[in-house]
Amino acid sequence: MMNAALQTNFARLQIMKRKVLAALRKGENYELKTELNSEYKERRKEAVRRVIANMTVGKDVSGLFTDVLKNMHTDDLEIKKLIYLYLINYAKTQPDLVILAVNTFVKDAEDTNPLIRALAIRTMGCLHVQEVLDHLSDPLRKCLKDPSPYVRKTAVMCVAKVYDLSPTTAEENGFVEDVRRALSDSNPMVISNAVTVLTEINEMAPGQNVWRLDAKSVPTLLAAVNECVEWGQIAILEALADYTPKTEKEAESICERLLPRLQHANGSVVLTTVRLLLNYEKYVHRADLLSQFTKKMVPPLITLLSSEPEIQYVALRNINIILQRHPKLLSKEIRVFFCKYNDPIYVKYEKLDVLVRICSERNTEPLLNELKEYAREVDVDFVRRAIQAIGRLAIRYESSADKAVKVLVELLQLKVNSVVQDVVVVLRDVFRRYPRNFADVVPTLCEHIDYVNEPDAKAALIWILGEYSEHISNISNLLGTCIESFLEEEDEGVQLALVNSAVKFFLKRPQQGQALVLKALQTATEKCANPDVRDRAYIYWRLLSADPNAARTVALVEMPPVELESANLSAPLLEELVAELGSVASVLQKPSRLFVYKKADKAGVPRDSEMAYTGLDDAEGGAASAGDNGTTGGIDTSNEGEPELLISF
Amino acid sequence: MRQGTVLGLYCFALIGESLQTFAKYLRSVPSLHEAEPVWSAPQDTVCIHIQRGELVYLGIVSQEVPALEVLELLEGVVLALVEYIGHLSELTIKENFATVYQLLSEMVDSGSAVTTDTSVLRGLVPVPSLVDRVIENVSGIGIRTEKRPDVNTSSTPWRSQGIRHTNNEFFVDIVERIDATVGADGSVVSYDVSGDISCKSRLTGMPELLLVMNRADAMDDVAFHPCVRTSKWHAERVMGFVPPDGQFKLASFHIATDAAPRLLPLQLRAAVSRQSDQSHTIEISADAGQSGNKLVEKIQVRVPLPAQAYNIRVQCRAGTHAVSNVRLPQVEWSLKSLSPADRGARLTIQYQVRAPSAAGTGAPQLSPSPGSSQSALAAFVDFEVAGYSVSSIKVDSLKMLVESYKLFKGVRYVTKAGSFQLRF
Repeated sequence: MMNAALQTNFARLQIMKRKVLAALRKGENYELKTELNSEYKERRKEAVRRVIANMTVGKDVSGLFTDVLKNMHTDDLEIKKLIYLYLINYAKTQPDLVILAVNTFVKDAEDTNPLIRALAIRTMGCLHVQEVLDHLSDPLRKCLKDPSPYVRKTAVMCVAKVYDLSPTTAEENGFVEDVRRALSDSNPMVISNAVTVLTEINEMAPGQNVWRLDAKSVPTLLAAVNECVEWGQIAILEALADYTPKTEKEAESICERLLPRLQHANGSVVLTTVRLLLNYEKYVHRADLLSQFTKKMVPPLITLLSSEPEIQYVALRNINIILQRHPKLLSKEIRVFFCKYNDPIYVKYEKLDVLVRICSERNTEPLLNELKEYAREVDVDFVRRAIQAIGRLAIRYESSADKAVKVLVELLQLKVNSVVQDVVVVLRDVFRRYPRNFADVVPTLCEHIDYVNEPDAKAALIWILGEYSEHISNISNLLGTCIESFLEEEDEGVQLALVNSAVKFFLKRPQQGQALVLKALQTATEKCANPDVRDRAYIYWRLLSADPNAARTVALVEMPPVELESANLSAPLLEELVAELGSVASVLQKPSRLFVYKKADKAGVPRDSEMAYTGLDDAEGGAASAGDNGTTGGIDTSNEGEPELLISF
Repeated sequence: MRQGTVLGLYCFALIGESLQTFAKYLRSVPSLHEAEPVWSAPQDTVCIHIQRGELVYLGIVSQEVPALEVLELLEGVVLALVEYIGHLSELTIKENFATVYQLLSEMVDSGSAVTTDTSVLRGLVPVPSLVDRVIENVSGIGIRTEKRPDVNTSSTPWRSQGIRHTNNEFFVDIVERIDATVGADGSVVSYDVSGDISCKSRLTGMPELLLVMNRADAMDDVAFHPCVRTSKWHAERVMGFVPPDGQFKLASFHIATDAAPRLLPLQLRAAVSRQSDQSHTIEISADAGQSGNKLVEKIQVRVPLPAQAYNIRVQCRAGTHAVSNVRLPQVEWSLKSLSPADRGARLTIQYQVRAPSAAGTGAPQLSPSPGSSQSALAAFVDFEVAGYSVSSIKVDSLKMLVESYKLFKGVRYVTKAGSFQLRF
């Protein structure tokens, strides 16, 4: 009852609140309306500012459209800009009202001040409204030939917007042709914008090849790249990176001309240059040049690592890809990748991956010491990865196995719960790799048996007990206790390991093991609910009673040595990512068709402009399914069907 | 996470949706700093963000782009905004939205970066002056003498024609940073030196400057301001440039790791001991190292302690100390200066760790939450040595061509700690 009353009251309050808010909002808009029509310029200006402020925080100020528009005729550039922003914001919802503003735009496009001409052209493009398009063509044509390069470069950008809205309008008016011509403009900024626009148009009309960089334009681009701003440089470098040189000589000279771009403060310029150099490796054949190019890549890549963490992250993801093409590239620089205590976790993961990748037999020792430090940190996942990295080094380099096992045992003695679990699992793999080397470590391991409590670690430990039973003095006790709690184990892996280890122990020492194995097999066959475990126990039981020697060949057989699971990307994916180095795809390490928005279908049919915002290409798999692939760990399972399968370690 | 205001220039439905899922993603990570900078949103868009100060700057992309380009652009946007409106916060951005909007629309044109160079932007968007705004608001009359913004499309877009100064001055600041990780025994685990050459130019006309460094070859990876003629650098190892007016970064460089001796201006050591499982002691010693006989100043040692630490007692020989407990307990030790003549400074921290809560992990004497570290692992160190260049890179000469007036030239060197850590 109380509740019901409260709820009605609450509902009433909500209604009241809504009414009051509506009144307030109306009130404010009413006030703004008056101010926008004020006779004082400064009051109108302040009102425009407030309208934009309200728009920013998501309030509806569309009702003021006509009043705002009245202020458009002004020589105050700030007001003009703000009103244009307002128009851009509401053009989508009120396209017919925007037409009212067209005259002002057309007039502004002929202003004496180049800034105003450019602003008008830019805004008309940004409005993105079909109705404006008809009025845009004439001013745009003029502005594309404007004497001021600032206006020309803005007009060039506008062509992309026109094309996006209506490819036919852009083609019929010769705008695309104008942009192609702009590639030989006298101003580098106009050239770089033309490249940006043509690249964008190509993306909008896939398969149509609206533009292809030809050998004739290459020299102008090479000259422009040194003179334009960093963003223009990126656009030109991107275009050149995708270009196929006609001759080996041309490829060499492009690379040599662009080498200085590696020394740019903008990381993206650097990385795009690296992409170009890697892509051109297939065109350049002179070994001395190739090695000179790769050598020059190293210092700028290292420098990226002293940038902000976000930039470091992208650099590291890309370095991970580059290293799969050039494994030896950074082997001298291992210390640069050592983790700082306060690096964000995403940077630490990437550094760890790179460290394991570039570690050579020579520098395992410092790296193992370093990994030991990491294993003491707080983040459980990072600690696990560090411990697994120790295991990988031990398995990869026999000479480092002793040191690695020593480090692992030291970590065991920290007696930190999660560390013990991870170390035991890794030790099992190392023991499997070097079956005879580390028997003397087993007793120490057994001292920590009480700490082992996660299924994977338990299964690993029980496997070790079975394998090294002859080295453990109180083995009957240890295995006995484990078998006692057989039914409490919920994990199938642990139960199977127990059955296996009991059988192995019996086969090695029949007298001591008889009671144990009997108990294990009895429990497993009679009381265990898991059919797989029961079946396994039955098989062993029959085998043991029929022919113990046959059982020996089954249970005590030497296992194949563990293989390192590959941390590499599949070859086709690697090729794709190297070709697109620096792109979002290379950071996410999956092909871009899996995560970005498809603007048009492959057929290249001129599409409805609205499609760009609503249509989704359902032919491609969504991002979600890619995520599922990404989690696949373990052995390299790249099947032909899905070449983009990611293997992580 | 605090609910933040979202400033967006283009309000497409697509972006709004991605924004919401991105906000959800930020809330789902344990700490804001763990959010991945490049995140693939379910709406087939990719969210690329940076975190500076208390704000998150996000770029949403819906087609393939160079990821670094977006990050660098966001970085450039932040730098430009700082130059225009000073300290950036939710409040200051809201207060200056008109400027912010104008800047954004000049920096980005429908998704393509146009320019982030503030010397160019200043010609397009007027810098708001506080006084002007106040007077305007009070009197309702604009007093600003409307200086018509102008575009500079010359071959030196960073410098406009007709700049005049009564005193012609040019200052060069060489700031070097040592990034290092030092082991508890004072051994160097990793070591790296990078530096910036920052300049402040107040010169009349269109001067052409030539800056010659003594050890140009030791600068391994040099990145230049667009004004530097790279061809000249490659041919003669000389920096030739027409400087922008005002403050700018001429170059940043990196010292080849194998070429530099690993000089540490501060010798640090640490000793950690446990009296029992709960009671810990950290002793840190700081002695003057190699700093070209210059004073090591502004020394700060920050020691984060584990979350469960309590009863923290600190003693120091020289300097002052403070214990704070904002998110995690932390000890800060400050030393004004240390010279080779000084006796080394010592800091001793004793603390206890709360006994593990009795949540049964099944095993005896285990650390409480799995993996949580019971002891402090590292200290963060800051210092500054004025008048010292750790790489021994110096300015050999600075010459001015083209113009012929007298100018005052000044050079300063300073070596600082970058990311400098002492491990325990």
